[in-house]
Amino acid sequence: MTVGLLDKPQVEPADSPWGLFSWVASVDHKRIGIMYMLLAVFFLTVGGCEALLIRLQLAWPNNGFISPQFFNQLFTMHGTTMVFLVGMPVFTGFSNYILPLQIGAKDVAFPRLNAMSFWMLPFGAVLLYFSFFTGAAPDAGWFSYAPLSTNAYSLMDGVTYWILALIVMGIGSVAGAINIVATALCCRAPGMSLQRVPLFTWIMLMQALLIVITIPPLNSALALLLIDRWLDAAFFEPARGGDAVLWQHFFWIFGHPEVYVFALPAFAMISEVIPVFSRKPIFGYAFVAGSSTVILLLSYSVWAHHMFAVGLGPGANVFFAATTMLIAIPTGIKIFNWTATIWGGQVHFTTSMLFAIAFLIQFVIGGLTGVMFAAVPIDWQLTDTYFVVAHFHYVLIGGVVFALFAAHNYCFPKITGRMLDERLGKWQFWLWVFGFNGTFMVQHFLGLMGMPRRVYTYADNPGWFALNLFSSVSALFMAAGTLVFLYNVGRSLLRGERAGNNPWSAFTLEWATSSPPPPENFQSLPPIKSRRPVWDMDHPEMADWKTERTAEDGGRRPSKALIAAWAFVASEAIFFTLLLVTYVVFNTRAGLDDGSPGDGPSAASSLSVVRTGVFSVFLLTSSLTFWLAERNLKRRRQRAFKTWLAVTIGLGSLFVAGQVWEYAGLLADNVTISSNLFASTFFTVTGFHGLHVTAGLVALGVMLWFGYKNYLTEKRGKVFSAIGIYWHFVDVVWIAVFSIIYLRALQ
Amino acid sequence: MNTLAELWRFDSPVWLPAAMLLLGYSVVFRRASLPRFLAFGLGLGLLVLAFISPLGALADGYLFSAHMVQHLVLLLLVPLSFMLALPPRETEQLFARPLANRVGKIMAFPVVGCLLGVGAMWFWHVPSLCSASTENAAIGAVRDTSFVAAGLAFWWPVFSPVARYRLEPLSGITYLFTSCLGCTLLGIYITFTTVSVCPAFANPQERIDVVTQLYDAGLTPSVDQHLGGLLMWIPPCTLYVLASVALLFRWYGEPPASSETTEAN
Repeated sequence: MTVGLLDKPQVEPADSPWGLFSWVASVDHKRIGIMYMLLAVFFLTVGGCEALLIRLQLAWPNNGFISPQFFNQLFTMHGTTMVFLVGMPVFTGFSNYILPLQIGAKDVAFPRLNAMSFWMLPFGAVLLYFSFFTGAAPDAGWFSYAPLSTNAYSLMDGVTYWILALIVMGIGSVAGAINIVATALCCRAPGMSLQRVPLFTWIMLMQALLIVITIPPLNSALALLLIDRWLDAAFFEPARGGDAVLWQHFFWIFGHPEVYVFALPAFAMISEVIPVFSRKPIFGYAFVAGSSTVILLLSYSVWAHHMFAVGLGPGANVFFAATTMLIAIPTGIKIFNWTATIWGGQVHFTTSMLFAIAFLIQFVIGGLTGVMFAAVPIDWQLTDTYFVVAHFHYVLIGGVVFALFAAHNYCFPKITGRMLDERLGKWQFWLWVFGFNGTFMVQHFLGLMGMPRRVYTYADNPGWFALNLFSSVSALFMAAGTLVFLYNVGRSLLRGERAGNNPWSAFTLEWATSSPPPPENFQSLPPIKSRRPVWDMDHPEMADWKTERTAEDGGRRPSKALIAAWAFVASEAIFFTLLLVTYVVFNTRAGLDDGSPGDGPSAASSLSVVRTGVFSVFLLTSSLTFWLAERNLKRRRQRAFKTWLAVTIGLGSLFVAGQVWEYAGLLADNVTISSNLFASTFFTVTGFHGLHVTAGLVALGVMLWFGYKNYLTEKRGKVFSAIGIYWHFVDVVWIAVFSIIYLRALQ
Repeated sequence: MNTLAELWRFDSPVWLPAAMLLLGYSVVFRRASLPRFLAFGLGLGLLVLAFISPLGALADGYLFSAHMVQHLVLLLLVPLSFMLALPPRETEQLFARPLANRVGKIMAFPVVGCLLGVGAMWFWHVPSLCSASTENAAIGAVRDTSFVAAGLAFWWPVFSPVARYRLEPLSGITYLFTSCLGCTLLGIYITFTTVSVCPAFANPQERIDVVTQLYDAGLTPSVDQHLGGLLMWIPPCTLYVLASVALLFRWYGEPPASSETTEAN
């Protein structure tokens, strides 16, 4: 009972355990998980209503019910809402609720950070939806392609609200993901080796890692676009030398892995539901787990298949077609594993299992049309038609949402202590199956006939009216299914049958505690000797560990603070890499780099390499003095520690002062962020670096204050080391910045 | 006009180091098992083919993409085959001595392997160095040797035959993924930049009568560089992912004894 179980104080107010304030102030992973899910359900209905309006507008040809402008806003908000306010929160919610229980932990690694991550979401949601009140909701599509999203074409504030909302929610997502990573790696109960964690936990760990590396490209793109919009730079404005395709690259470097951010949790949930209702262990655990890891590794190398129509050249098309087909393999493997798990099992056709089976079939359809798009000529033919809409809705609804409903029916008894009504559940299931397939199957045909997406109405071409009307009417079935779902939840909460600890005779640790679990999660844990500890506990004579050996738990757990610091640094490294890529893109183009003066300032003409070199030495030395401070802290020499820490802060401050001096000089020479693309990229890269140094200085200042108060105990020493990782990282980034910007200017 | 078949160069000096390697392996590891010997043979075969096949001729100042294929064979495939060809017990004995052990340990630091493996890619694609090594045979030989050496250093922490030098499987995957990002960045740069990365290939001198054919086939210098960048970017990452899969199997197969590992079910 040592690891990660005991060290968090409960901050729940004791008096009114179920009052509203106790939810707002809660740091309990279960309550935060529930709040994530409720938020997602709320926005599912909002985004769903937007979708219904879209379908109403498209129900018949030449319809004038909705203006083109409002139609653009609707599909933009529908996409953005479903991705960022439904998809991301609901998975984080499940992860938050289930993952700590599955690994026998008392809470997530950082409960307060968890609360912050959640509350960023409503903040972002308000920003996003407030745009409606300004009279101009974002209308440039969920990917806000430049130059449409730049000032020249989107004068109103809608896109700006969109950017700010996404940045805010992105920060929350990364923080939440880091929390999940640290929880899964550091808070497992004794006996739970990483080879023994339930598949849900393993795949959600992969998903969290993916979020950590996939949100930063979006954030850097958003930062650049915001600088374009607010500070009049021209990163994405071709008319002023910018590059609109760069936005597409950055967006899809985020956007394609984001698809796996959604698909992986679906896989995770299905991998729990199918074995339990087939009464068998999963077939080929290592294949399911390993292929999820492979998806994580490959997901970064396929983004350009969203850009086949841009004209990247035949070479790029061939390679990205190949990688896209390659990434279908690990997904296909899992389909076989799930099917083989059902095969020969005693299948219990609960609502949850029905949703899982429908998932299997519909996801295969969505996956296969995805492989079709990997063939470049097919992509060219079908891009921007309703075939694309049909494809990704098969993946995202037919796959992901159905998996979510499977998980919802499976987990509801654990979360609330009440069973859902099976009869209502089956109503919901069939309404959704007919509604979903009716809505989107016909859109394949519309796409093949050439109906373009994102256009507010269509001419009365042969067959289009009938198919669109069929699609729109079917959408109502999904809406009805959703009403049944909401009614079922409400009714079951009040009058549902009591669930008991383990109503499904499931296998994993969350079912070893009461439903709902107490705030501390577990009174006691069963011994963990295999991947199915609850099965072992209930069936000692047929326990898994008697027939199947899995790696023993060595008992070592990494430090939470260090894992979090490394994950954060990885995320930041990708952010800076993309900013530096931007710098290189705009400063090495033929014609700018060949010694010709170009227009306006350049690195060679406006930077003082020697002076900045001297200030760089200060910054790099501060890494050394930090290391000395850390060493003295470990040896408990408080005085020397404080001295070296103060020196570190001093050196860092000198560096910042140097940067201020440099900026002042440039501004005096009329070199501003909007002068030209050199100046824009220069100020962006060094500005963000300067901000990071400043943040580091604040953290170090807090540490120094802690030092004077003698707060830095052994345990907080880890926090100090974590800040150290960040501080060294900031220095390493500066080495890259200095080499790329300043040393190149010498040539 | 030359056809591709006429570009084989059986008089390449690569036979000499190949013969020496074969001799050395046969003497030092004479008791190696057949699969290991075959792995070594594969590595040797790839090494020789990289120079005597038309690929070698084209890499010699005509096609940047052919150069890139040769580069990847030398840096990734040949060393990987050699690494897998090392029999554990004999290698263990070789590294039992203190000095050798120290070398083995230094090579086992992931930072070293990563810097050498990815560094070799970056270093030899600095435009002036890339051109020099293409135009000057001696520098070219240094480059090719350094590729194989750097490749051995790169694979050492992942597939070293001596267990104590290997990274934990999950750390190994992180190592491979980081390296993938390293060559991805370079690949992206080479693919999308408008600057010529290796000027020697931009204006090939006609010595073997192929340039017109290549241009007719659409392989103009810009297309060629484009392909070269993509080769640097996608195939290495794919290989690293395959290596990661091998590590995952090792990791899940970790519990000793019992033939009923999960994969067997």
